[in-house]
Amino acid sequence: MADRIELPVSAAVAVKRPTRRFAGLGSLWHSFDGKPVARAGLFVFLAIVLAAIFAPVIAPHDPLKQSLGNNFKPPVWNAGSWEYPLGADPLGRDLLSRLIYGAQNSLLVSAGAVIFGGVLGFLIGIISGYFGGWTDTVLMRIGDVQLAFPFVLFAIAILAVSTERTVGRLILVLGISSWIIYARVVRSRVLSERQKDYAWAARALGASRWRVLFRYIVPNVWQPVPLIGMLNLGFFVIVESLLSFLAMGLSPPAPSWGAMLTDGRQYMLIAPWMAIFPGVAIILTVLSINLVADGLAERFDPKLATGHFLRVPLTKKVTLGDWKNDQVILQVRNLTTVFETRAATIRAVTDVSFDLKKGDMFAIVGESGSGKSTLGLSIIQLLDSPGRVLDGEVLFGERDLTRVSNKEMGTIRGAKVGMIFQDPSASLNPVLTVGQQMTETIRRHRSLPPAETMEAARKALATVHIADPDRVLRAYPFQLSGGMAQRVMIALAMSSNPDLLILDEPTSALDVTTQAQLLDELDALRAERQTSMIFITHDIALLGDFADVIMVMYAGRVCEVGPRDRMIAAPLHPYTKALLGAIERRGTGGGRLTSIPGDPPDPTSVAPGCPFADRCPHVMASCRETMPPLVTLEPSHRVACHLVGMEVVA
Amino acid sequence: MSEQPILEVRDLVKHFPVRSGILGQRRATVRAVDGVSLTVNEGETLGLVGESGCGKSTLVKAILQLEEPTGGEIRFRGSRLIPADAHKIRRDIQIVFQDPYQSLPPRMNVGDIIGDPLRIHKLGDKSAIEARVHQLMHEVGLNPERAGQYPFQFSGGQRQRIGIARALAVRPSLLLLDESVSALDVSVQAQVLNLLKDLQDRHNLTYIFISHDLGIVSHMSDRIAVMYLGKVVELGPAAEIMERPLHPYTLALLSAIPSLSRKRSTRIRLLGEPPKPTNPPSGCPFHPRCPIARNTCAESTPQLFEWRPGRLSACHFAKDLFDERNALSMLETNRIAREDIRTERTTS
Repeated sequence: MADRIELPVSAAVAVKRPTRRFAGLGSLWHSFDGKPVARAGLFVFLAIVLAAIFAPVIAPHDPLKQSLGNNFKPPVWNAGSWEYPLGADPLGRDLLSRLIYGAQNSLLVSAGAVIFGGVLGFLIGIISGYFGGWTDTVLMRIGDVQLAFPFVLFAIAILAVSTERTVGRLILVLGISSWIIYARVVRSRVLSERQKDYAWAARALGASRWRVLFRYIVPNVWQPVPLIGMLNLGFFVIVESLLSFLAMGLSPPAPSWGAMLTDGRQYMLIAPWMAIFPGVAIILTVLSINLVADGLAERFDPKLATGHFLRVPLTKKVTLGDWKNDQVILQVRNLTTVFETRAATIRAVTDVSFDLKKGDMFAIVGESGSGKSTLGLSIIQLLDSPGRVLDGEVLFGERDLTRVSNKEMGTIRGAKVGMIFQDPSASLNPVLTVGQQMTETIRRHRSLPPAETMEAARKALATVHIADPDRVLRAYPFQLSGGMAQRVMIALAMSSNPDLLILDEPTSALDVTTQAQLLDELDALRAERQTSMIFITHDIALLGDFADVIMVMYAGRVCEVGPRDRMIAAPLHPYTKALLGAIERRGTGGGRLTSIPGDPPDPTSVAPGCPFADRCPHVMASCRETMPPLVTLEPSHRVACHLVGMEVVA
Repeated sequence: MSEQPILEVRDLVKHFPVRSGILGQRRATVRAVDGVSLTVNEGETLGLVGESGCGKSTLVKAILQLEEPTGGEIRFRGSRLIPADAHKIRRDIQIVFQDPYQSLPPRMNVGDIIGDPLRIHKLGDKSAIEARVHQLMHEVGLNPERAGQYPFQFSGGQRQRIGIARALAVRPSLLLLDESVSALDVSVQAQVLNLLKDLQDRHNLTYIFISHDLGIVSHMSDRIAVMYLGKVVELGPAAEIMERPLHPYTLALLSAIPSLSRKRSTRIRLLGEPPKPTNPPSGCPFHPRCPIARNTCAESTPQLFEWRPGRLSACHFAKDLFDERNALSMLETNRIAREDIRTERTTS
């Protein structure tokens, strides 16, 4: 990539200012794209806010002006007059004007309380989380006590003794009641962020505590605060009305929705509109606020935003390929997987075909971004939106997995095909013991009485050489080491005796000693149960006497695939050679290592020709023009390189 | 390379209390670092190898004065480091972390990340800092025009280069590389390791290179210290350790290195996992997993002893390991013998 451009060191190029990722209101507006309900909520909410702000301009009357001749005037459609569109109350005050001014008071109190409580909670949260110790204990215990105490009682107690209940005093009471919610969330985020390496790095660089906190940590912890604030706003609108209804709100005669409800209640039979309109106002306001909050939630959790998680099976009918060899349990044909984002369509896997024999260890080797993990997910049909299988066939057990329904795939997954990921702690549920998780999984595939389920779990753990299964079954995932957790995952996957196990970098997060143990155990399991395995890794050195077939991928395509011995002893593709060269570091004792120059190509740009051309030491003109086809040299050895083609011709 | 020590660690101890219960009673002690002594010479690379939980990272944090040691002392260029002047040594000792995804603040652009140490130490005005950031990015092989981009826009290897540039910004003399390439693809590891070697030559840097992979450590280091359960169990020149280790744990690490050329049957496999540092075994901490352990190992703790010039080992049988022409066969016989003992124990 454009990363290695030679530039004069002395030239002081101005450091380019960042393009802002959070471009304010414009992007906020766009985050409501495609969400009509949330957007409608936003419209209603903005209308109410504008009405409140411009109350003096919009309201036809002074909300406090009494006009005794017009008392109990009905709304305009009920034999009323346009002068009082929504009617008037017993003192002849205009209901519409009182509603509009009521909105002003309601929103002023609620918003003020949100801002006050939010800022207070945010500050307490970051201080509590960052400094910990006694500060944290004291602040959090105060919060606990406050949460245990019924808030409305607390508010009433304070407001009842107040001689005058002003907007400021209400903000204070409501705000104090809510800080703990913000403080808790922010504190837990600070706790996790301050343990991250970047916070340690900042301290190691000599940054003061305040600098670490405000420059490094705070930018990563504030995000949920506006969302909680929005939800709180809706709650406070209700609480403000409730207090007014109980005559604990703003001192009369200030217009307020709650107080209007109280008035209306007395005249329910003769003037029902008096209670209905403030009720509608409260419902509309709170509903619109909650809809906006929903829209915002998706913005902060992009997973929600895509809307559809389920994969869509391919529908185009194909004639199932030649299924002659019963030794082959998996046939992948012309598999193409894409990631569709608003900006671009990225081809992660392009036209991949291979066969997997029963009981074989099939290794897929490639660098990050080579599409090897996406290929694994595409086979087991676990690809998350926006990724999807665009074309091809995955023939397994006389079924095409790209075309079976989600329901059927659910029964195949786990029972017939299992998958193990790199980070075992992320794959286990942190709040359940290993035993609970294992028995649940076992029961899903077999109905057994509890005692036998437990015994099956114990046996499963014994297959991965866990010496003390009972201790492990009682343990929570955080009590296990990485190697132990990965063994549990393998035991879980193997408990249903699947025909195929896909392992995506299962040992990359582990110590080399644990890695070596685990590889031995996997190999023993495979030999014993004849389970076919697909082993995805970036480190070709792991596969020494372990894999049967090695497939090398680059930029989503197959470069070379063949039996292990041929691939290691006589690789043909320059990329396979480069990968083998890169691992020759062990025991070299100084000197320079062979590395592959440059970076993998940008997956969004689709240049013609071989994707490895830019980094290839043997690049020719034809490499940049046409993609070399995958040439079959022997039934089981295929290479995609123009060089090989030439040799074959010559 | 001179023999001038730049860093001396003497009997360093760091214990963490494990508290539980409402009143936070001390229930146990994690002996993360349990009496480590090391000397790092100017311009050399000292490799530090061991499994996770062996105390490597705690040692690093203690050297950086990010954790206050429970006992022992650390001297930098002859003067003792105390937490009070931690700020001063931040310009001399820097660190590159393991995880390229966690070690960079996600919402700061690369120019700010690399430039921040300069701002913290007030090294130059705005334009001088910009020029230095530009130069640093160029030096680690990044296009300086990308200074305005955010970490997520870079690949793992490029992020690690950003981390290196940030560490070099204040021109330190000692760089701690804490698993700095472990999270990268093998092909990218080679690029970053070559870069580190180049930078060391160019700036006469001293490295402490920490990893769980003895293969990478041996490539990078002049001398290697092997740690197990908070203690150094073997120390010596890299080439000699790789040729003939004097501790069975080193031998096990050596045979765990993934390799295409070696057959698996000739490897030693460690059984089980490292014991918990809250409750280390009696005698030699390695004896429950050791393929050559004998009765005395459970009883007396071997001390780190200089068996050969410059070669230290904390094993009762270091001499046997050195004398044995084929250490592997010796281990193999012993392993079988021990497994017999084990079966007897379980059956009785």
